[in-house]
Amino acid sequence: MNAFELSLPDTLADAARKAGPNSAFKAAGIDLIDRLKERIDDPETVVDLLRLRDELGGIQATANGAVRLGALTTLQELADATALDAPGFGALREACGEAATPQVRARATLGGNLLQKNRCWYYRSNAFSCAHDGSGDRCLAWHGENKFHALFGTVDCVRVHPSNAAPALVALGAEVEIRGADADSSRRIPIRALYPQSPAARAPEHVLADEEILVAVHLPASAAAGRSAYRESREKLSFDWATTAAAAHLVVEGGKIARASVCLGAVAPNPWPLDDVAERITGQTPSRELFADAARRAFRRAQPLRHNAYKVEVGQAILVDALAAAAGLED
Amino acid sequence: MRDRDLREGGSRPSGFSRRSFLKGASVAAVGTGLATEALADAAPTDGLIREDGVTTVPKGALEITLRVNGEDVAVTVEPRTTLLDALRDRAGLTGTKKVCDRGACGACTLLLDGKPANSCLTLAWDAVGREITTIEGLADGENLHPVQQAFVECDALQCGFCTPGMVMSSVACLQKHATPTPEQIRHELSGNICRCGTYGRVFEAVANAAKNGGGR
Repeated sequence: MNAFELSLPDTLADAARKAGPNSAFKAAGIDLIDRLKERIDDPETVVDLLRLRDELGGIQATANGAVRLGALTTLQELADATALDAPGFGALREACGEAATPQVRARATLGGNLLQKNRCWYYRSNAFSCAHDGSGDRCLAWHGENKFHALFGTVDCVRVHPSNAAPALVALGAEVEIRGADADSSRRIPIRALYPQSPAARAPEHVLADEEILVAVHLPASAAAGRSAYRESREKLSFDWATTAAAAHLVVEGGKIARASVCLGAVAPNPWPLDDVAERITGQTPSRELFADAARRAFRRAQPLRHNAYKVEVGQAILVDALAAAAGLED
Repeated sequence: MRDRDLREGGSRPSGFSRRSFLKGASVAAVGTGLATEALADAAPTDGLIREDGVTTVPKGALEITLRVNGEDVAVTVEPRTTLLDALRDRAGLTGTKKVCDRGACGACTLLLDGKPANSCLTLAWDAVGREITTIEGLADGENLHPVQQAFVECDALQCGFCTPGMVMSSVACLQKHATPTPEQIRHELSGNICRCGTYGRVFEAVANAAKNGGGR
């Protein structure tokens, strides 16, 4: 790891002012320290956000049922949060409770989880050139070792988005609150707009500018209704990165699916919403057959690489499991 | 008592202990949560650069004070120094092991404010003002912590290199679940890898420690 100076801002405003092209924001540092050790990133200044608990911490449920999750909330706090007790929020609690290890969950923050960089082994190793980090002109994973890479939505880089929380938050219709250089530049965007429209090589993995800070995630009151579930496949059960993941949020009324929202993880450079699946199953009677048919259609557009075709089969099973759990059909 | 310190660390509401403001021998450092007030009190001439609402720790080594196993320990660290390296190379506390150095193996596990943490993925500066418990802080003199005793009795180690981290995760497990189910033990120890594959004995040791009051 190269040397850097550590900036400890008093407030969010000071943090934003201190940021620039040669700086990196740090919360717990779980992903950043890894990248610094591998010399993938080499900032002159690390701007610390971890001490800004007052502005970035806390979980607040509002009177109308919406919930604000401060960006510094840890994955373990989310997994255990009583404010997220409603079965509608289940996908988020499950995604956070199964992410990584107890040690990581106890420190890793929601903001860091959403903004972490991809885990492609070519990108993560400075022994290889990589089109995405600019050290090479083509994606080695495309024709190389691509067992853990993308099925959908790639341009010229087959990385997958590694966050567990992101697909759950997409399924729950969350918004992210972003603060810019000055207080009136704050904005709220749907979480799917946090990620680039065209996730090409060299495209930033999120849309935040250098000085912008992810302040909080907002769950709408509608997310508390019904039930949601998150399921993932991994090579190693104790802990591992997901090979495929699915989050589903369903509201079932009178035996029919009244509202549906579905998102895949670990299969595309961004969280991969399945709006067409949601539309197809809305108004239908929930059943494993219905979900299996929807999953088959969803994966028909998959473009497997040489070593990741297994994700098509496994991903369908994981999606059916998530939908069945969200519909209360499990067991 | 060490055990009591540990329990207090575990049950303390998040954020409380981070409010403490530590003054090291030469550098005043801030804990989490009171950045503004604490930094306003800090002496900007002691190696830190103070300007416009930002205190900057420059590249290079400065002395900070860490609270390790109930005692203040002065260590000289750079901003980039991990807590693991600070403990092992500066404080001489080599019980915490370095293996993968990337948060994947759990050998460097310790407790930060009572919660398990990979010290290899924690900056030493981020541990200022927080209660750090390492494997060296578990025993009360010659009396082993119930988890350590159970590891000995169950012969829950072979080469032993993962053992300090495994013990710390076990302690964290029992603080969370006083009488854990086998599934809970596996879940809470899932961040620790044992090259020798002694998991069965480790799980047995945690269950036995729970019976012997390790979780209280």
